[in-house]
Amino acid sequence: MSLSPASGIGRFYAKSAKIIRFVRLGCTNRPFYHIVVMERRKNQHQPVIEQVGSYDPLPNDHNERLVALNTERIRFWLGKGAHLSTPAAELLGIAGLLPIHPRTYMTAWRNRRTAAESEAKAETTA
Amino acid sequence: MHLVRQIRQLNGLQGLRHALRQVSTAPTKPATLKYERDPQPLFTDAETQKLLQSMTQLHLDRVFRKRTVPDNSSEIKFMTTEQLELEFQSMVEKAQHMLQMPPVVKIKEDVDRIIAKDPALKDFADTKFVFTDITFGRRQSERKVVVRETDGTLAYASLDTTKRMNQLYFPLDGRQSYTPRMFALEELIAKCLTEHKYEYVMDRLLVQYEPHEPEFHNISARVFEHLNESKQFDLLRSTRHFGPMAFFYAWHRCIDDLLYDMIRRDYLQNAVELIALSYKIHNVPVEYQETLAKLDALHPTPAQSALTELRSGMRQPEGQQGIEQEIHSAIGKTEKDFTADEISLQFIEQYIASEHALKKVQLELAVQTLKEVNQEKLQLFQGLKKAHGIQAS
Repeated sequence: MSLSPASGIGRFYAKSAKIIRFVRLGCTNRPFYHIVVMERRKNQHQPVIEQVGSYDPLPNDHNERLVALNTERIRFWLGKGAHLSTPAAELLGIAGLLPIHPRTYMTAWRNRRTAAESEAKAETTA
Repeated sequence: MHLVRQIRQLNGLQGLRHALRQVSTAPTKPATLKYERDPQPLFTDAETQKLLQSMTQLHLDRVFRKRTVPDNSSEIKFMTTEQLELEFQSMVEKAQHMLQMPPVVKIKEDVDRIIAKDPALKDFADTKFVFTDITFGRRQSERKVVVRETDGTLAYASLDTTKRMNQLYFPLDGRQSYTPRMFALEELIAKCLTEHKYEYVMDRLLVQYEPHEPEFHNISARVFEHLNESKQFDLLRSTRHFGPMAFFYAWHRCIDDLLYDMIRRDYLQNAVELIALSYKIHNVPVEYQETLAKLDALHPTPAQSALTELRSGMRQPEGQQGIEQEIHSAIGKTEKDFTADEISLQFIEQYIASEHALKKVQLELAVQTLKEVNQEKLQLFQGLKKAHGIQAS
């Protein structure tokens, strides 16, 4: 799929439901996401209204995951009443743009529990 | 199969780059001289800037020399005299723009600026997240980059990370995302310096680093120290790096070699300016403004002299002016120059006699030689004038 400009080429109705969501680009075993605004009813690979960021979920050499956010446009679309997909909402929460999403707390808590359990298991076997 | 091999090769290269980055964290040999307090207010001061610009000089053939750029082509046009005059002026303006000095500022310290701490977020992911604001039309300096650590702290990114992200999302032409080998490996930079490629190193340094970065200070100080030993100051004259270099020497009280070079090349006004600059930086109670004002009245500014040089290519009207011009071009000095030289020599000798001069013997000898040459020139000048029957004014 060829890339469209960040200003987007997607056509949309003025009153249709918009959503800020990820579009999976990249290839097999190498995910890469664009954060885009598009009509809610459309499929992710259809033309978007606007691209507002990108997210690389694989850590780089410095062990960090890179996210780019066009905060000005994101705030604009949120003000227009755009919806948020859960992963996008989580990411914006982590970025400090929105309150932290409950699911992030859930993941954190589950990760801590798993770590504690595996530690306890290691202690009992030792 | 071929593709797989290529990808492997690329991965191998990346490993190499990684290794290089490791090297770059161990900095090249540190310079011994550092700015111990903020030099910026003194450097950006209007008077200092004027002194530095005057010392840099403006040789158009130096500023507009051929460079290693893709397009060095020139255009040939027919013009009227007025158009030519306008073109001259715009050229000099352009040259002044190209000679704008990079600022000398202190090293910017990294400060932790924490936005929020959320212990409940501990271990939400196994790596940290770096968020870059890519809002259209922001300047690099005002772009926000924030980091969410794995323990749930949200903070502004360090200067290093901010620069990396800026370069990633808004790349600057010529700046590498990793440390260039030239600056990472000690033997490469040492080789550049021994080959006297000072301007090249400084230009590349300016592209790669911001003036407030420690690497910039370190490497530029090294270049200037090396220059002070090799005494090839003329290589940087009429480039944008001459001003910061003179400022560096004046700040660190080692102007004597540069001063000797200036006297030897008969740039006496520049020598006076250099001494004045060092007096100004170290608050030495010597009145230099008066001498400078006198010299300013006698000498044209670099821009003016560049303009006269450009105009001299055009045909002059014949007459009395022509003979005087000829005498001037034969000797290289006018009456004004001789008076200016006298004033400057007096000031320079005063400096040499003071306790601020370190290489007194050398400087005295240079001044003595210059005086003798000047004396001869003056006699010749007067003799020629008499022979041509021009009244001494």
